Order: sequence, then structure tokens, then C-alpha cells
Amino acid sequence: MSYNGVCFFAYNNKDIDYVKLALLSALYVKKFMKNNNTCLITEEGDYNYLVKSRGEDLVDRAFDEVVFTTVKHKQNIRTHFDSPWSKFTSEFKNSNKHLINEYSPFDKTLLLDIDYFVRNDNLDYLFDSDTNVGMYQQAKNLKHETPFLYERYLNPVGIPMWWSTVVYFDKSDISEMFFDIWAHVADNYDFYKFLYKFPGALFRTDYCVSIAVHLMNGMNTGDIIHEIRDKQMVYMDQKDELVEVKSPTDWIFLANDRAEPWKDIATRNYYDNIHMMNKRSIDRNWQTMLEKLDV
Amino acid sequence: MDERLAKALEFSNYRSTVENQKRNLRSRVDSLQTITYNNGTFKADKSTISFVNTLINLDNTEIVVVDERNNPIEISDPKDFLTTLVEAYNGSMNEFLAESKKLAKARSIKKIMDW
Repeated sequence: MSYNGVCFFAYNNKDIDYVKLALLSALYVKKFMKNNNTCLITEEGDYNYLVKSRGEDLVDRAFDEVVFTTVKHKQNIRTHFDSPWSKFTSEFKNSNKHLINEYSPFDKTLLLDIDYFVRNDNLDYLFDSDTNVGMYQQAKNLKHETPFLYERYLNPVGIPMWWSTVVYFDKSDISEMFFDIWAHVADNYDFYKFLYKFPGALFRTDYCVSIAVHLMNGMNTGDIIHEIRDKQMVYMDQKDELVEVKSPTDWIFLANDRAEPWKDIATRNYYDNIHMMNKRSIDRNWQTMLEKLDV
Repeated sequence: MDERLAKALEFSNYRSTVENQKRNLRSRVDSLQTITYNNGTFKADKSTISFVNTLINLDNTEIVVVDERNNPIEISDPKDFLTTLVEAYNGSMNEFLAESKKLAKARSIKKIMDW
């Protein structure tokens, strides 16, 4: 019987306590998924801080495995929004994400970003399938709108963007090839940025995986990479706000209007897995999200 | 602000919220109807159920059905497949009905949100 589970990368910076968010996200996996072994990939100092700040008992309940890395991350500054009216920049350490197939202790692995909250068992099917690599290619926000152009395509006439928020993989030759190409693109990011004409100074693993998918499909569209069954990843935009956690599966958000940012509508979401891009909003609701889980 | 205009704007906000809740609900139904069977992805909707049922009624004991990704999937036990489809369909419809009724009764944003 294979040993399956879910991995999280978390490296703290001075603005965001990533390990704290990973702990909560892992507890949601424990609550809602059947394949719920979990692994935290972090630095020893961040882990020690997590144990000290949250208690060993809670950390042990959240994570079955811990992998320490000592990678020196390249400087990568990311701009975050917390509502339309507040923004900040912080260091984003993601330059070793493609090494997940080396770090993962599992035979079949689901890699989740720490701001992705699982609230159903929809992703469990992947572990019972013969999928080599699976990700989302499409997304929608809390108002069911598609993302901006540069989060759908790498440029206005470019290849489709795949999301590295949720990456499922097994230990096959295909998945090994996928991570090799991802590593190659990451190592030659500026060249691929020029070639695929994608914007921005931020190193985005979404762009790396999108190019890897394109190359593996023979520089065409194809189905070598499995598109996750529910097709559209649901995300909360950085300008949205989580205003109430009624239960682990019943959350109320204020969804911001992209065209008229002074407007919000209340939206009540049940059961969807949600990529919660506003990390400060998670932090404000962290304690309630934990208490309602009742773990 | 003119009272009538204020009421109209409040109603407009309420309708926007209701419409988004309806989209949430349809999305939930869609998710509940999406099933995996023999490594294929299928939609447990009226047409899939009718099609599989027709093949069974014509005494097909093994069938091939094209899934949502246009891949042919071999089904060696069509009756078991039909049962899986019907269960997913019924589960989704029961939730759709119950939540739609709740939404229809909620005549304000506060009621929709249980505030």
C-alpha cells in the first residue's frame, strides 16, 4: 500500500507568518480529506518558532512529517494587497518549490500552497487515479469571474497559465520529467521570460509550470498534464475580505468589485476549496477558523 | 438621498447578492455531479444517466462511454456505473432544492447571510 499525503512549503518572513498559516491549512486537510497525511517543508528556525508559538501538541496534530531545508533563496519581492486600500511588500521564498519531488516523503503527493484551504474531499480522487501530474488551469473568483488576462495567459497571445497552487504528482518518469523542466525554467527564468513574454519582476512558479506543461505537450496544447476534475480553482482575491466563519464549510466574504473598488458584495461560500490570497485576512480570522474546526 | 432611490439601490444590492448565491449553488451542484469512475471523469446529469440506462436496457453488459475529457472509458459493470451516477445526481438535486428554497425565502442580504 502506498504512503500518500499532502505537502506544504512555509518559510516565514518579517511580514507573514507562513508556518502559522500552513498549520491551519494542514488541519483543514486533516478534517476533510481521506489522504490526509501531511508534511511541512520549512527551515528549522521557522519550525522551532511554530512549536514555541503554537504548542507542540497542535503542531503534532497538524503535521505527520517535517522536512528541513537549507536552501538560500533568491531575492523575490512580492506586493500584497489587504483590501483595495492597503498594500505591502514582502520577501517571497519560493525558489525551491520544484524540488518537492525530492523533499516529499510520500509515494503520491498533493502539494498545496499554505493559503489553499480544503473544505471537501474532491481532491482525494487523484490518489486513486493513474494521474502522473495534475494541476488547475482555470480559476474563478468569489463572484465567478475569470482572473485578469495575465493570470489566464502568459501574454495576450501567449500560452495558457497553469496554477502551481495545487500540484498533484506521483513517482513516475512523467512527473520526474515535469520537475526537471520546471527546474530548468526556474534556472533560466530571464531567458524564458523573454521567450514567452510574460510580465513582472516577481519569480512566479505559475509561469514555470505553465512553460513546463507547454514543452511537455510538444509545444502545443495537450493532456499530458491532468486538469483537476472540478476544472476551476476558486480563489479569494487579495482585495476581498473574509468577514465571518460560521463553520469550517460556511464562510462569508466581502467580494470586491474590480472595476469599482469602493463596492463589495457579501457572498456566502459553502464547501468550496478556496485559494485565500489575502493572507492578512486569514491571519485576522485564524483563531476562529481553528476553533470552528474543533480539532 | 431620495427615499425611493435609496430603496432601489438597496434592492439592487440584494439582487446582486442573490444572483451570486445562485451562481455559488450551481457551482456546488456541478461539483457534486462530477464523478470519477474507472479513471474517467463523468457528469452525473440527465443525458449521461439516460444514455447509460438506454445501453443497459438494450442488454449491453459491457459498454464504452466517452468521458468529460473525450477519452473512451471501458465500463465492465454498467449497472454499478448507473447506480453511482444516480446517487450523485440525486444527492446534488436534493441539495439544490433545499438551498434554492432557503434562498427564495431570504428576502434581504441579512437573511441570506444569517446575520
